[in-house]
Amino acid sequence: MSEERETRLLMISPASMITPNQLARAVQSMGKEVTVKETCYGCLVEGPKAEVHEIRDEIRKLDNNGIFSKVRAYPCGDPRRCRAHHGTRPGFAQLESEWKTLAVVNAGLDAMDRGEQAKEVPVREQLSIDKFKKICEVS
Amino acid sequence: MKVFIDPPNSLILYDIVERFGHEPLSTMAAIQERIDNMEIDMPPMNVTLDDVVKGLKYAGIEVPSGIRGRMAVWGPLIDSADAAIIMDDAPFAFGCVGCERSNMMVKYLIKRRKIPTLHVTYPEDEEGGKLFVAKAKEFLEGLK
Repeated sequence: MSEERETRLLMISPASMITPNQLARAVQSMGKEVTVKETCYGCLVEGPKAEVHEIRDEIRKLDNNGIFSKVRAYPCGDPRRCRAHHGTRPGFAQLESEWKTLAVVNAGLDAMDRGEQAKEVPVREQLSIDKFKKICEVS
Repeated sequence: MKVFIDPPNSLILYDIVERFGHEPLSTMAAIQERIDNMEIDMPPMNVTLDDVVKGLKYAGIEVPSGIRGRMAVWGPLIDSADAAIIMDDAPFAFGCVGCERSNMMVKYLIKRRKIPTLHVTYPEDEEGGKLFVAKAKEFLEGLK
């Protein structure tokens, strides 16, 4: 396989109004020589690195702060990973976990665009044993 | 600039680093190299002899093989990094898909390299998200 191959995972934030189908169709309508695979979280795009980067920049215009991307090591439909071939998908638990957090990152990017200042979040302290004992005694 | 991200397979950190114009150093790129250029059954579960030797540079022979295997992939990335972003307490970095000892080792290696490093907390709510983005933006835009 070519060294210039890049498989990119495009994931939609839960706060975005874009659907995976819209995303995959938008990529296909660009007319580039890439493979597009619609998934439950967005889509996978595979092709020459330069073209995939162009698609990434172009697709962000749909929803700049709601579409996230990263590269994927295994190619699309690889029998070792693809569920259609009963492959394992060990990274999915992590993707699912990050998908839930994308909404707050999306909100953070929106706030940055509006020029809002972020406030320092106070660190939650651990409950002291004395305090815990008092709570137990009251109830 | 090359920015190492920790957790090294994080989608959020990869995207943020790229958004602000830097090159993220991630596990995915290192594994892709092994998939495309080597005849290994299923990287990173299967390794080559070279990987084992590389891992020994970062973790001793008495260290569990899982940590050495992870270090074989992440160690060279840390060596080539110009800066690093560390997300503390990421829930997926510990448990069935993570290894706390490897995470500690990564943080130690980054500290030893004395490169510009940003520690951020995993955003749990909207305020946390705003703070995370603001800190990452300030750090990444300040890198030259």
